[in-house]
Amino acid sequence: SSRLSPLYLLPPQVSQALTRFFSSSARHGFQNRVAEKQKLFQEKNDLPVHLKGGTTDHFLYRLTMVVTLGGTAYSLYCLGWASFPHKK
Amino acid sequence: MTHQSHAYHMVNPSPWPLTGALSALLLTSGLIMWFHFNSKTLLLLSMLSNLLTMYQWWRDIVREGTYQGHHTTIVQKGLRYGMVLFIISEVFFFSGFFWAFYHSSLAPTPELGGCWPPTGVFTINPLEVPLLNTSVLLASGVSITWSHHSLMEGDRKQMIQALTITILLGIYFTLLQISEYFEASFAISDGVYGSTFFVATGFHGLHVIIGSTFLLVCLLRQFNFHFTSNHHFGFEAAAWYWHFVDVVWLFLYISIYWWGS
Repeated sequence: SSRLSPLYLLPPQVSQALTRFFSSSARHGFQNRVAEKQKLFQEKNDLPVHLKGGTTDHFLYRLTMVVTLGGTAYSLYCLGWASFPHKK
Repeated sequence: MTHQSHAYHMVNPSPWPLTGALSALLLTSGLIMWFHFNSKTLLLLSMLSNLLTMYQWWRDIVREGTYQGHHTTIVQKGLRYGMVLFIISEVFFFSGFFWAFYHSSLAPTPELGGCWPPTGVFTINPLEVPLLNTSVLLASGVSITWSHHSLMEGDRKQMIQALTITILLGIYFTLLQISEYFEASFAISDGVYGSTFFVATGFHGLHVIIGSTFLLVCLLRQFNFHFTSNHHFGFEAAAWYWHFVDVVWLFLYISIYWWGS
């Protein structure tokens, strides 16, 4: 980097890493894939938005339902337990 | 094939309102089981279900807006009203804690020594770390404004730089506050001084963490090209929230740290 930029004060490994991180070129990984996502989520397959992304959606949905419904059942069990005296 | 003849958003049926409500049930019943019976299972389940709900609900909103195009002008107007009303509700939330502080500090009882700060309480010097914290948050307000203007002008690199700086300042504030909490000579159980100090600053700190997380999500979305120069409401909502967090701190600093010392 030029002597006008304060980056030259840093060791080259650090200044290069910073330059690469903030660079807007597509080379290092972030490319505009919004159009692909738009195509996926606008496909006419009657899937609701929370399941339209693929198999991970189904897994996360099932996990969430198990945790919440299972937890609710457990909380009702706890209520039943706590409602009665227990000898210490 | 039917198409709607209006610009409003008719959402798909979603399970997340139910799972969110159930996670609130698990939180409340979990607190009872923890306080009274020393059991943390329900509480852990509540945190897991709450995180899962928040992640999937907000993920779906990004899908509906960015990928499906449902966020028309009028829908965006509704989202703006919604965020404004939410922030107003948070203002009322913090007002309660400020009311409690002024109630106790304007007329200190004989039990406190008839003075504020109470006898035996060694307050934190407002000109030390608290002043640094003030400058950190004010600077973050400047950097987020820089980020917003860069976004509106189409300058991707500067938007990312400025948003990153904002997030780092938020993290710096949080770390400084955590260290102050350890260094303080008083605890939450030290009378009404301790209660008002730690509940008000504690909830504020939680909001800094929430705001920093919201900003981080915006940074990730910007990496993935979700925002355009004239449509980026998620970022604006995060910026509004961040400014609110900054203003609450200014009130805390002036009332509790400065006047209250």
